[in-house]
This record gives sequence, structure tokens and C-alpha cells, in this order.
Amino acid sequence: MIRRSRTSRHMLALDLTPMIDVVFQLIIFFMFTSHFGQMMRTEIDLPREKGDEREVQQQPAMIIDIQRDGKYFVESRETGLNEIERLARNGIAASKGGGPRFDVLLRPDQTAPASDLDRVLARLSAIGVVDWKIGTIVPNGSDR
Amino acid sequence: MSIVWSKRKGLSTRSRATRIGALPLTSMIDVVFLLLIFFLVTSNFAQQERELPSALQTEGGGVRASDLQPQIVEIRLLDGSPVFVMGERAVRTRADLQSLLSQLPKDPGVAVKSDSDVPISAVAAALQAARDAGFAKRSYVPQNAP
Repeated sequence: MIRRSRTSRHMLALDLTPMIDVVFQLIIFFMFTSHFGQMMRTEIDLPREKGDEREVQQQPAMIIDIQRDGKYFVESRETGLNEIERLARNGIAASKGGGPRFDVLLRPDQTAPASDLDRVLARLSAIGVVDWKIGTIVPNGSDR
Repeated sequence: MSIVWSKRKGLSTRSRATRIGALPLTSMIDVVFLLLIFFLVTSNFAQQERELPSALQTEGGGVRASDLQPQIVEIRLLDGSPVFVMGERAVRTRADLQSLLSQLPKDPGVAVKSDSDVPISAVAAALQAARDAGFAKRSYVPQNAP
């Protein structure tokens, strides 16, 4: 009898603190890793449009940022048009081997001139890129 | 509250309830509220990014004779602000362009082309208007910029 009462007393004194610590650490880890792809994207003044309202969108094969001064960035690194073309060629070659169709996401500064957009798109079009997407930011007060 | 102990029954139900009630929850609630506030604040700062898909079309190329010619929206700059031109009609706002496009047949699709000095926001607005007007086939025709 005495031994049973001791066991129950031990159960009641179970320390939950380390378990809660671990649970919170896991929550924070998964929240950060799930948004990691988006966090890798540099901050840019994108056009204010509501975009395509589909919630699940396919991750693009290549993301190109266009800064206000006409500089292009791929994976946060300044990249010239020749290098972009080479990367796109590699992407197209990889997609021909059974991968998903190669597409490009352009994230332009909304005040940049269309010539910056045309310059890169003309190059991509010339090597056979057909699908592209423009990145937008949902304006405040938008219905969606 | 006192813990009742008897040699015959061991710890009584009353004492067990007392012990559970004494579990220190204050610190956990503090942390939960801090996390709640943190995520509320950060979610307000992070603006929602979306994508607007479109196709690429070369000038005068890639269209077979059997294909229907797409309707073309040209964006020009007039007095420092963009103007959307479709044939003989010209509109200034995205809403006007959308209502103009919604009257057109959707099957041929719509192509957007712009002058080099037009801000990219106007290109995005034209593509958005085409999408909202119900065009599934949207393409952009890049000009040969220097």
C-alpha cells in the first residue's frame, strides 16, 4: 500500500517544463523552415496586384529579382544576362529529362522600366522558355 | 488545503486533486502569450506574395496560321502616366481595361506589350486585368530592348 501511494505521488510531481520546451522548439523550427524559401527572397517593392488566387502554387524553377537600377539577382547574388541564360539553359536541359516544365518567376521592382523586364524575357524566350510568372504583393485592403 | 494521509487508504482523492491544482502554469502561460504576440506582430509585417502566371511570345513568331490571333494590349506612356491601348480605344485605369477586356471573346487570348519606359507596375496591372476579365491564355511580348 505504501509503495503504491509513493508511485502515485511521483506521477503527480511529473515535471512538464522540459517537454513544453521541446514542443516550443519544434514549433519554432517548423515555422521557420516552412517559410525558409520565402525568407530567402530579397525584399523588393513588387507591383501591388492580387495575383493568381490559387493557394497552392508550384515552386518556380528559377527566381530572378529585378532591382530599381536594372540589376538582376538570382538567389540574392547579382547575375548578368549571360549567366542567367546559362542557368536557364541548364534548367531547360534538366526539365527535358522528365522533370517539371521549366518556368521562371520574375520579382521586379514596380518602378523599374519595362525595358528591364523585356531584356531578360527576350533572352529567355530566345532559348525556349515559355512559362513565366510575375511576383506581386497583395495590396492592403484587398478582398483576397 | 491539507493533505489527508491515512495508513489504510494512502493518499486520498482530495489530496490528489490538491496536488494537480498546484501545478505551476504561470510560466507556461507567460511563454504562450509571448509567442502569440510574437507571431501576431510578425504576420502583420510579412506581406503576402502572390504570382501572376503568363506565357512568353516572340514578336511575329511562334504563331501557326491556324491559331487565332490574340488581341493585343499595348501600354504606352502619355504625359508621364501609362495608357492601355487596344486598337482605337485607350484607357488609363486597370478597372477600365478590365471592363474593356471582359467584352471581348476569350478564346483567342490576349497579348500584352509595352513601351520600354513604362513602369513594370503597369505591365502587372494589364496582366492582372486580363486574368480578372477571364482570359486563360495570357502572353507577354517582350520588345527587343537594347
